[in-house]
Amino acid sequence: MSYPLELKDVVKRFGGLTATNHMSFNVENGESLGLIGPNGAGKTTIFSLIMGEHRQTAGEILCNGEDISALPTYARIGRGVCRTYQIPRPFAEMDVLENIRLGLMPNSIWQMLTRNPDRYKEIELALSVGFSENDLNRHPAELSMGDLRKLELARTLATDPSIMLLDEVFAGLTAGEIAQIADLINKKREAGMTLIIVSHDLRSLEPLIDRAIAMNHGSIVAEGSFAKVMADPDVRASYLGGE
Amino acid sequence: MGIRWQHIALWIAFIVVMLALPEFVSKGTLRTIIFANFLAIFAISWDVLSGRTGYISFGHPFLIGIGAYTSAILSYRFGFPVAASIPLAVVATMIGGTLFFLPALRIRGSYFALVTLAFMELMYQLVQVIRPDLTGGTRGMSGIETITRGAVNNYYLSFSLMVIIALAMWLVMKTRLGTALSAIGMNEESVRGSGLDTTKLKLAAFMIAAFIAGLGGAFYVHYLGSIAPRALFDINFLFTIIVAALIGGASTIIGPMIGAFFLTFLLEYLRPVLPGAERYFIYGGIALILYMYQPKGIYEVAKQGWGRLRAVRAGAGP
Repeated sequence: MSYPLELKDVVKRFGGLTATNHMSFNVENGESLGLIGPNGAGKTTIFSLIMGEHRQTAGEILCNGEDISALPTYARIGRGVCRTYQIPRPFAEMDVLENIRLGLMPNSIWQMLTRNPDRYKEIELALSVGFSENDLNRHPAELSMGDLRKLELARTLATDPSIMLLDEVFAGLTAGEIAQIADLINKKREAGMTLIIVSHDLRSLEPLIDRAIAMNHGSIVAEGSFAKVMADPDVRASYLGGE
Repeated sequence: MGIRWQHIALWIAFIVVMLALPEFVSKGTLRTIIFANFLAIFAISWDVLSGRTGYISFGHPFLIGIGAYTSAILSYRFGFPVAASIPLAVVATMIGGTLFFLPALRIRGSYFALVTLAFMELMYQLVQVIRPDLTGGTRGMSGIETITRGAVNNYYLSFSLMVIIALAMWLVMKTRLGTALSAIGMNEESVRGSGLDTTKLKLAAFMIAAFIAGLGGAFYVHYLGSIAPRALFDINFLFTIIVAALIGGASTIIGPMIGAFFLTFLLEYLRPVLPGAERYFIYGGIALILYMYQPKGIYEVAKQGWGRLRAVRAGAGP
């Protein structure tokens, strides 16, 4: 059986540091997986490896059974995998709609030249993540952290993904903004999107995931339901710093 | 694509005024404008690459030089008609542009700028040493076939070339390709994260820039009728191109044109007062003040002024 995403014995070393140490896991179709662990556990590295921003030292990354290890980032996105970043990365001199336009662009210079942007779709995406009509022509400098996260979600959703990797989506947000983003994630979940969510905000994360993987020092410490993972003595030790 | 009738009207007005110009100004002024036209072409080429994608080229004379030397050698040494030597020169420049592109696969920012500067220096040295029987060595070549004679004809030729390139680039940059290239300048990782192949996009920018630089370089050498490595692979020439694009307004089409005309006339009018190299001091000072006041250039200053004027007229002014 093939999974939407599967990591097989993946290793990543940065010089002497092993950021990912023989990690193997998978997600099932429509599943929401939480990836938790202390700072420096290697959660973001996993995302970078899946997206091809870094190449693994060893092991395989499979997408629907196909080994995507050698593919460049844009080809992986073309296969329906995408991610958001801990620190949003908008295009500073473009407004909300233009930012989303980038995500909607076909990866073909000819089509970029000959076809006009789909303004209707841009607006639809912007509104779907919770922007109001007044926000559409705002520039990133005028947006709050919550709005920047929404913008990043919209641009990422524009690539028409089936698997989303969300990195610290709640960091730096107000309680109200967290509720908005959580609501959005839940909607995507109900629509059948496969998700992997990294978050330090465990309370906000819990209702959004079906299963959790706790990691530390690049390895899996515990795996299972959120309650089971949190009850694990090793997980508690890694968070609290005890032995 | 966001083209409004006002844009078209402005283009038409601009072209009409420029076409009527030889009736009203002296031949000396026309010759100044001819240089401004060529400078505008080079500045547009620089801007397509550096103004948009943020890959700052310090070696643009390398590309212009390939275009100029190829066409000059083909017509002067081998008797090619200009109609054949110019297209071949453009092709050669695009091949040179591929070479120029290779460092951009791995480096950016000041590193990329330095590598391209090295390209220009290398070309400067090679032209003098390798096959001087073809390139004319240090002294270059003179007596190269010119396309047309006289200030008026050359003015029309250079203006037509400039306006066709400017219009074509304006249309191209209005499409999503223009948006994507500008996005690379803002955040290349995010462009990649939007599912786009940035290597392909950058290659497109380099090829367009090389095409324009090659075309401009080839026409320029057949206007001058001579070529010398000292004049072409010159740091002052390079900076004039960059400053024209920046001072006028990078990442626009009209900006490099405004900048090229502004700089050319500034240097020309300073000439009677300050005949020596001091005028570069004044020109540097003015460029610096303008750039500090508005980094987006003269175009942005004019746009804001226009906006304020309209607001005042509408009674909504402060």
